[in-house]
Amino acid sequence: MATRFASVLRGTATRMLPGLLLLALAQPVSAQPLETSVKAAFLPKFARYVEWPPGARPAAGTPIELCIIGSDPFGEVIDDAVAGQRIGDNPVVVRRLAGVDGASTCHIAFVRGRTGRSTAQLLAGLRDKPVLTVTDARDGSARGMVHFAIVDGRVGFHVDAVSAARSHLSISSRLLGIALSVRQSS
Amino acid sequence: MRPFNRLARGWRSVPAAAGLMAALLLLAGLGIIFQSESAYREQKVREARVQAEILAASVTAALDFADAAAAQESVNALRVNPQIRSAAVYDGEGALFAGFQRSGTTLPPTLAEILPPEGSVAVAAAPVARDGTRIGTVSLSVVPEPLSRRLTRYALIALFVVMAALVVGVLGIAHTALRRVNRELAERASALAEANRELEIQIEERAKAEEQLRQAQKMQALGQLTGGIAHDFNNLLTVIQGSADILQRPNLTEEKRIRFAGAIAQTAGRAAALTSQLLAFARRQPLRPEVLDLNEQILGMADLLDRTLGERIQINLDLAHDLCPVEVDPTQLESAVLNIAVNARDAMLDGGTLTIRTTDAEQNAERGRALLLAISDTGEGIDPETQARVFEPFFTTKGVGKGTGLGLSQVYGFATQSGGDVFIDSVAGEGSTITILLPCSEREAATGEAAREQQVRTCAATGCVLVVDDNEDVGAFAETLLGELGHTVIRARSGAEALRLAAQARIDAVFTDVVMPEMSGLELAERLHEQRPELPVILTTGFSDRIATSGSGGLPVVYKPYRLETIAAALGEAMRPKEDGP
Repeated sequence: MATRFASVLRGTATRMLPGLLLLALAQPVSAQPLETSVKAAFLPKFARYVEWPPGARPAAGTPIELCIIGSDPFGEVIDDAVAGQRIGDNPVVVRRLAGVDGASTCHIAFVRGRTGRSTAQLLAGLRDKPVLTVTDARDGSARGMVHFAIVDGRVGFHVDAVSAARSHLSISSRLLGIALSVRQSS
Repeated sequence: MRPFNRLARGWRSVPAAAGLMAALLLLAGLGIIFQSESAYREQKVREARVQAEILAASVTAALDFADAAAAQESVNALRVNPQIRSAAVYDGEGALFAGFQRSGTTLPPTLAEILPPEGSVAVAAAPVARDGTRIGTVSLSVVPEPLSRRLTRYALIALFVVMAALVVGVLGIAHTALRRVNRELAERASALAEANRELEIQIEERAKAEEQLRQAQKMQALGQLTGGIAHDFNNLLTVIQGSADILQRPNLTEEKRIRFAGAIAQTAGRAAALTSQLLAFARRQPLRPEVLDLNEQILGMADLLDRTLGERIQINLDLAHDLCPVEVDPTQLESAVLNIAVNARDAMLDGGTLTIRTTDAEQNAERGRALLLAISDTGEGIDPETQARVFEPFFTTKGVGKGTGLGLSQVYGFATQSGGDVFIDSVAGEGSTITILLPCSEREAATGEAAREQQVRTCAATGCVLVVDDNEDVGAFAETLLGELGHTVIRARSGAEALRLAAQARIDAVFTDVVMPEMSGLELAERLHEQRPELPVILTTGFSDRIATSGSGGLPVVYKPYRLETIAAALGEAMRPKEDGP
């Protein structure tokens, strides 16, 4: 496990965004926090490549709500990541929710149950809602529209365009272009 | 050297328009090439920028999510374009994020190290922006098409332009050359016209001079002729007058009377021969052709020729046997031979030989059978210039009074009027030959005997003859002659009188002059024949244009001066059918 995260670090040192690199260098040498902070940095960025349906789209000036539903693996890291981030005219705020109640205003939701099963239940609660759901492969096989995974020591993500389309979200082809895999309606 | 100068002149005078046009064409060609080149470069830069922008757009997410592999994939997609030498994506800090380069180039590790474009390489950079924030930069360096290929393309344009310029230039030169040639031609044409005018003037002057010369020659010839005739006639008249004077003297012996009367007759005959020659050269000589044997005629002339030519000239006769008869006027034939012989004599002052030869001419399809009478001398010969003129009337090499210039003219007139021809052939110092060609006659030659018999018959003729002549003397003479022949004669002095008398008296024959005022002899004959078609009419004339040209209409003609036997023969012939008739 330590080797895997070292390789992530190497990949990051040479090829990743300099901001993340600096962030990583500021942290103690540990694979877990680096991986987490990369994922935390990714989360608000998704907002740039997603088009919400009218009504769900954040009005100009209003914040984009990034919800952490279930248990929060990020802690302060996510708060730091969104601090000062603006997607277009919109700032980004982090909301932490225990369940899907009150999640209807979320734009992006990182879903993480205690178990894989509870994650699936949470996702079911958000089904057909105009919320971009994000899950992590480390938390089980339940998949949101975006599903983090580690491939070759690097943080990547799978995209489920079918469920996004069901929630009337359109995901930019640019994002699809860098996704590890894309599930599309055949 | 001359063509070169011409060319140089041609080059100098190429119309400015053509030169200007060629220069403009070349300029335009260069302009097109430069414009094309700069447009090409601009287009390449634009293309590079567009491609950089596309690349920037496609790597936005990759940069955003620090996905260098995805960025590299996007960048690698550009490798298919060989003109892209290198492509690089730099992140927001200016560090190399993804990129590729071909051999010979290096990728600057940071954005700051990108050098400004060098030479033909176009560098385009495009920002990778996210919500207006620059998160990275894409840099492309593009080499244009290889220079050789562009040059090939431009060379084609240049070739066309140069060819067009050449065509224009050549056209200009050709036009100039043509104009010069035209000008030269025009000059030459005008020079020619000028020369032609001068020539025409000269020709006109020469024609005038020739006309004057001809006139002078004619006058000279006329002088010679009249001199010659006057000389000859004076001689003859002296004899006639002298004889007449002697005859008028009383107590003349019979012997003297006969001698001087004979002299008058002989001399008058010579005078008649002279006038006959005058008519002969004018070719208005009335011919009295008879069918005869040429050899017999030549032999008959032997004595005459002997006497004419004198002792110093020997005469050779070379006569072919069995020659065809010819139909010619014997008197004219005699004159022709005599004329040639006299000329020969004059050419052989120191003596020589005259050869008279008769022979069959080569048969010729055009003129049929003919014979030749060639008379050669061994004299001094005739130069070619004179040869060309010997047959001309009035032409003579003899002094005034020595010759009339009519001798050979008579020969020519006789030969051509007889349907033949005459040729001259002479070698200076060796002698001359004059050849007369005469066509053969289909008829039998009359022998001397037959002619005599005929004369005997006519002698017996008698009858009442009406003599018509406006000339009193000639009329009286004719009356005397016819009276001598035993005819009863009635005289009339005009055609009208003759018609009146013919209506009153019984006339057996009419002997009329042709040329008379009011009514000609021919008209009279016509009027008489209206009443009595069988009435014999005999015409007589010294010379009549009309008879010479259109004939006598079948009537017998007796030419003046006539002699007793001539008129007797004519009357006898004319009245004979009546006597022989049933």
